[in-house]
Amino acid sequence: MIEFINVCKNYSSGTHALNNVSLSVDKGEFVFIVGASGAGKSTFLKLIMHEEEATSGEIIVNGKKLSNMKRRQVPYLRRHMGIVFQDFRLIDKMNVFDNVAFAMRAIGAKQSTIKKRVPYILDLVGLKNKAKSRPSELSGGEQQRVSLARALVNNPEIIIADEPTGNIDPEMSYEIIELLNEINSQGTTILVVTHEHDLVRHFHKRVIELDRGRVVGDSAADDDVTEEDLLVRHEDLLLDESLK
Amino acid sequence: MGISGFGYLIKEGVKNVWNNRIMSIASVCVLISCLVLTGSAVLLSMNVARVVESVGDSNETTVYLKDDVSNVEAAYIGRDLEKLSNVSTVEFYSKEDAFKEYEDVLGEEIFANLQGDDNPLPDAYHISMVDLSKYAQTVSQITAIDGVDSVSNRSEIAERLTSINNLVTTVSLWIILALTVISLFIVSNTIRMTMYSRRFEISIMKSVGATNSFVRIPFVIEGMLMGLISAVLSTGLLYFLYNGIMEVITNIIPITPIPIQNVIAIVAGAFVIAGMLIGALGGFISIRKYLKKEGNEILGW
Ligand SMILES: Nc1ncnc2c1ncn2[C@@H]1O[C@H](COP(=O)(O)OP(=O)(O)O)[C@@H](O)[C@H]1O
Ligand SMILES: [Mg+2]
Repeated sequence: MIEFINVCKNYSSGTHALNNVSLSVDKGEFVFIVGASGAGKSTFLKLIMHEEEATSGEIIVNGKKLSNMKRRQVPYLRRHMGIVFQDFRLIDKMNVFDNVAFAMRAIGAKQSTIKKRVPYILDLVGLKNKAKSRPSELSGGEQQRVSLARALVNNPEIIIADEPTGNIDPEMSYEIIELLNEINSQGTTILVVTHEHDLVRHFHKRVIELDRGRVVGDSAADDDVTEEDLLVRHEDLLLDESLK
Repeated sequence: MGISGFGYLIKEGVKNVWNNRIMSIASVCVLISCLVLTGSAVLLSMNVARVVESVGDSNETTVYLKDDVSNVEAAYIGRDLEKLSNVSTVEFYSKEDAFKEYEDVLGEEIFANLQGDDNPLPDAYHISMVDLSKYAQTVSQITAIDGVDSVSNRSEIAERLTSINNLVTTVSLWIILALTVISLFIVSNTIRMTMYSRRFEISIMKSVGATNSFVRIPFVIEGMLMGLISAVLSTGLLYFLYNGIMEVITNIIPITPIPIQNVIAIVAGAFVIAGMLIGALGGFISIRKYLKKEGNEILGW
């Protein structure tokens, strides 16, 4: 589903955000991506969405090489993905229903389809009764569920979430990841960047750890290392850094 | 994209105009000024052209014959003149006819002495031309005819009007060009402001896979709508302005202006087409830069 082959990403500022990254994520996997701030996690996701282009190497998404993808094909690539942002990115002058419907309208969906699909998705994320509310009237956890509903509404094959729990209470965080887990069980591939180790530990999923642009751990790749080891190592690393 | 998808885009376009109404009104005002000025320039040019044409109809050029030309030879020259394609009417004007015109000026005594063989005036033809712009060419054809002495200078007023006509046409074209650029500038700036206020939505649209043309359409519609509104208002304004201005002009110069009723439909059509084209182009230009951006760049983060 997603394959990185020797991918490097240098920003024009001179930052080497990703350095020779090779990995693959299969259809239906649930992957946590962890690493210190500035490790290149967001860059990794942006490359998949084709918001940024790799400096070298090849990225294959859904069987398509991104290096020779034409500009006008990018929107169709993104229709296979649902994106969840840390800051929700909801439009406050629209109610919950319209925020979710917006994603369907943006790709030219029929009004009759929208009317059927949006309530179904809102029910799925547990916001059936909030359709008429404004985002600002909702709690952080609820707002993130609206954002998730919007990501899901076009029935994507991949959900990409960059620190989806970064702005919400810990209890709410579990709910969000639990929701993603349920969606994953229907066959949707999930990529989640997170800082919260408790969450990662709780869900027993594949964990990829980035450090300064390199993959320094992948629970799927080396069998000897469990997620638990990886996380302990990561915490040690953070501790080391904070001691320095 | 289905019909409902397009309906949505039109609604978004109308919303854009409404949400950014102060700037929309400003652009519509500028567009109206441009359209009305352009329309006035074109109508003025049309009126001048018409005056020139009517002067051209009544314009007589005199072809003087040589002194020794006999009456028979004069008749042949008349036939040759009629054969020229740019000559519409040919009328013989004998030296006696010409002389009579001077009777009053010269006084009876002198007049009596100069009559008959002593008449110093030549025989002539009065002709008129179909197309005055071919004046010089036709004159050289006439002087080439045997027995023709000279051709009178073309009536000065016709010449001056033709040059005014050319000047008005040229100036109109420059005015149209300049005003088109100004209109495009103001419309695209207005749409750029709308776009800036909607950049958050644009970034979300792009992240869920909206195509560039889909993102663009509401802004193009916004421009076209402003163009349409301006066209309708300009047509009304020009209608009243024209009658007023022509009243003033006809008081100074006795001309019959082209009745506005004859041209208003064409003017309205041209305004609608021009306004909507400029609007659409303005929308197109202004969003180009935005569509190249991705993700947080759109938001300026
Ligand atoms: N648009 C950009 N321009 C220049 N440098 C960037 C840009 N985005 C990220 N970076 C840099 O690239 C590195 C990786 O960033 P990022 O992928 O956002 O890390 P993470 O999400 O793991 O915190 C950082 O050093 C960051 O400063
Ligand atoms: Mg990040």
